[in-house]
Amino acid sequence: MNARGRRIAIGAEPYLYTAPVLILIAAVLLVPLGVGLSYAFRDIQLLDPFSGGFVGVDHFRELASDRSFRAALYNTLIWTGASVALQFIFGLVLALLLNREFPGRRLVQALVFLPWAVPTFLVGLDWAWLFNPVVGPLPGWLFAVKLTHDTNNLLAAPGTALIGPIVASIWWGIPFFAITNLAALQSIPKDLYESASIDGASVFKQFRSITLPLLAPTLAITILLRTVWVANFADLIVVMTDGGPADSTQTVASYIFTVAFRRLDFGYASSIAAVLLILLFIYALAILSLRRLIMQRQS
Amino acid sequence: MGRPQYGHSRQFEADRLVRAALWLAALALGLSFSPITPAATTLKLVEVITSPERTETLKSIVKTFEDANPDVRVEITSLSWGPSFEKFATMVAAGDTPDVVEMPDVWLGLYANNGALESLEPYLKTWPHTQELNQRTLQLARMVRNTAYMLPYGFYLRALYYSKKLFAAAGVSVPPRTLDEFVAVSKKVSSLPGKYGYCLRGGAGGVNAWMMFGAVANGSDAFFKDDGSSTFTDPGWIKGFNTLADIYKSGFAPKDSVNWGYNDIIAGFYSGTCAMIENDPDALIAIAERMKPDEYGIAPWIKGPSDKSFPTIGYTGWSMFANSKHKDLAWKLIATLDGVPGNLVWNRRIGALPIYTAAAKDPLYTDVRFKAWFDELNDPNVVPMVMPVDLRAWALFASSIVPRTSQSLLLGRITATEMAQQWAQAMTKAKQSQK
Amino acid sequence: MLRRTLYWSSHYLLIGLYVLFALFPLFWLIKVALTPNDLLYSEGIRLWPSRTSLEHFRFVLAHSEFPLFFRNSLIVSAGTAVSVTLVSAAGGYGLSRFTFRGKPLLVALMLITQMFPLVMLVAPMFRLLAPIGLTNSLTGLVIVYTAFNAPFATFLMQSFFDAIPKELEEAAMIDGATRFGAFRRIILPLTLPGIAATGGFVFTAAWSELLFALMLNSSSRASTFPVGLLSFVSKFSVDFGQMMAAGVLALIPACLFFFLIQRYLVRGLTAGAVKG
Repeated sequence: MNARGRRIAIGAEPYLYTAPVLILIAAVLLVPLGVGLSYAFRDIQLLDPFSGGFVGVDHFRELASDRSFRAALYNTLIWTGASVALQFIFGLVLALLLNREFPGRRLVQALVFLPWAVPTFLVGLDWAWLFNPVVGPLPGWLFAVKLTHDTNNLLAAPGTALIGPIVASIWWGIPFFAITNLAALQSIPKDLYESASIDGASVFKQFRSITLPLLAPTLAITILLRTVWVANFADLIVVMTDGGPADSTQTVASYIFTVAFRRLDFGYASSIAAVLLILLFIYALAILSLRRLIMQRQS
Repeated sequence: MGRPQYGHSRQFEADRLVRAALWLAALALGLSFSPITPAATTLKLVEVITSPERTETLKSIVKTFEDANPDVRVEITSLSWGPSFEKFATMVAAGDTPDVVEMPDVWLGLYANNGALESLEPYLKTWPHTQELNQRTLQLARMVRNTAYMLPYGFYLRALYYSKKLFAAAGVSVPPRTLDEFVAVSKKVSSLPGKYGYCLRGGAGGVNAWMMFGAVANGSDAFFKDDGSSTFTDPGWIKGFNTLADIYKSGFAPKDSVNWGYNDIIAGFYSGTCAMIENDPDALIAIAERMKPDEYGIAPWIKGPSDKSFPTIGYTGWSMFANSKHKDLAWKLIATLDGVPGNLVWNRRIGALPIYTAAAKDPLYTDVRFKAWFDELNDPNVVPMVMPVDLRAWALFASSIVPRTSQSLLLGRITATEMAQQWAQAMTKAKQSQK
Repeated sequence: MLRRTLYWSSHYLLIGLYVLFALFPLFWLIKVALTPNDLLYSEGIRLWPSRTSLEHFRFVLAHSEFPLFFRNSLIVSAGTAVSVTLVSAAGGYGLSRFTFRGKPLLVALMLITQMFPLVMLVAPMFRLLAPIGLTNSLTGLVIVYTAFNAPFATFLMQSFFDAIPKELEEAAMIDGATRFGAFRRIILPLTLPGIAATGGFVFTAAWSELLFALMLNSSSRASTFPVGLLSFVSKFSVDFGQMMAAGVLALIPACLFFFLIQRYLVRGLTAGAVKG
């Protein structure tokens, strides 16, 4: 191969490696995504063959004055914030605990990762049962330790209903953070810690100056992705409370589901989805800039 | 320096893994292609209220059709009941339409008004069994634009199920006959620790109860005035709504029930948590499995101050899609499913009330447990109430607006008057957009 | 000495709490699956029923289509895990080692695909796949799942590749190896833990996915087991006992899989590689 050919081959290398992923998502995801977004500007009633006319930004105008949407947005903040923050903290602690060798570690590891293997529909059902005073132990226990004033179902009262799906999503999501953080922790060369303890650094100092900085890029990506997923995640809520009672657990994602599949108004639902997309994109940009900042500071 | 020496065994292992992975992928792809079986003509049938035993019965009736028409194959698709509405809507919207579909009354307005269904009138004209159908069957079949877009296979009429066990424990000897008696009985049963008088369906599908309480208190089931505006803001309806809401607020229904759906109220009933539910004959199947005959009873629905009762009547049937390529064959299939003896076999399995006048004498229906329903049908003061399912917007109203607003009412966030106003607004709009 | 015992006892205490928290809901699933129908509600709160029965398991295995759903899920999940691993390893390596024009765009596109609620994609995707016969098929599901999981897997792989110094393959290439050869023989083996973790995630994501399995496939021939679980909720009998039994049965392969995978997670990087 002559020099020019080799240069072309080398220039094409990155594209060759990334081509499979790109082609796949372009064909299977981006096309439906584009179509879905286009619905936001049209009047699409799912079963009405005569709908489909272009309506411009009418949906967005309707959205701006939609009280249910604003309530859903508020619920989404609580839902996403609480779920992700708690999953992350508990997951990180678990990863740190598992990073040390101890007898039975392999068994423990396999056990604590099990929740992730349960389909979310079953997770929702299982936790709904756990919270149900007739068939579940939790109301009795919560009452016994004085965390609640009665043995009623948390899911039935608007003030506490969101707690159910949040707890369920934490239970399900801890393994995600635990596994990714553990794998990242294990890629940190052990001799860094060795030389640090030779130098007399305490466990905490080692954590702060070795672990955290090296972990930060992975943390940023996993928190970003998990937040995006949780924000878009309607399964647990639909199964456990169906957005109720009285819309107190309705998040943007479950609201989209309601508008799309109960009202059968795909145009309006797409406009809500588009707004959510924009919000999440802004959030993603923020996290990624943060990540780049951290990585630059490291090198 | 030379190449790094580690990883020889690692490299081997990685190679092996990659090879195994490629084999697995090939295997997976190969296994995922399923063989296609050719048939002369294939009819597509979709059932939407699926349950394993019911599907068996359906298959056996369909088999008699296939035997009678040797070069026709029927492909049955059974949708899970829970998400069946969403799933079927998605299929239809994407063009995956069947020839024959099971059509619940609440879906009729949606599909018929959008032109998706074929009129069955021409077929009914020449069908020998048409005269044997009772009046109600044809009347309800023609709900949309006075054209039969579906042929019902059975009726669901509400009656009052009560737990004899709980009644005995609370010192109640007869089931309540009026609205006031109902509230009094609920109160009595609720005084038992951990027990409640009424299993309220506060979540999905609860619209019927609100309508039944409202109409009974109102003395009339007219949903609209002559000018097409909704009657929900009439004091009678509001009184009924208030009574039901008060039952919950006074603790005569479990606190949980604000979220309850069909399965929850049935479970609440047979587990002995609450003493009364109002429901259709097909709930009998689930209840009879879990309770002994002397533990429960069925009574006609309560009457109001005007001595009239308005239990809701619902129906499900079979419809043909307008874009079916085998219309005559599809009709033959419907005729088999809804004909004699197919329909009776079907109703024996699913427990609906018959569409044929003669069927009332069938041993299935002379069973003492069906007595309440036939009493209702024979009582002139009992007016089976038909929901306005011909309205295109009814499905949305029933599945979205009602649960949300009624839950707000139960939780004390709005008053019954405010809820009635929101409902009236929605209904008037629905009626007007229908024109 | 005291500090060490304090450390280790709190360590074990925390581990114990985690294990309890993770396992209790699963224990409850098993408990419900073993409770006979008549005791399901009357003994609902008890930690263990007074009488256990295998009736639900027997029913699920003998009478429902569960074995078929199980097989379908296995095929789809394994196929997805393998395809995603291949595609994302290549993609992640490309993102890790190169900066090229279009890289920010690629990253942005991958992120965007994760941000749109899946509910909205159902209808357009159905319309896209139906004409080419990929609805009601397991292959269609594999393709869709691979596309969904590829972005996340690629980012994950990128992080794992980032942690391996570029010098390793550069050293090999100086010695005359091609980049791809160095990738296969040197880099990949080092990221076995990462590959295993990614494969494990994807397998379980595909295993538990419900929405698209439900909406894209209607016939039971192509149904996966989450869809099958839904069939236990019917109007005539909500058989929670059977549903939980089916759920328990379906968890077994996922558990086994994790058991096998985490062996690779334990093996860390060979820090000795760079020292030489």
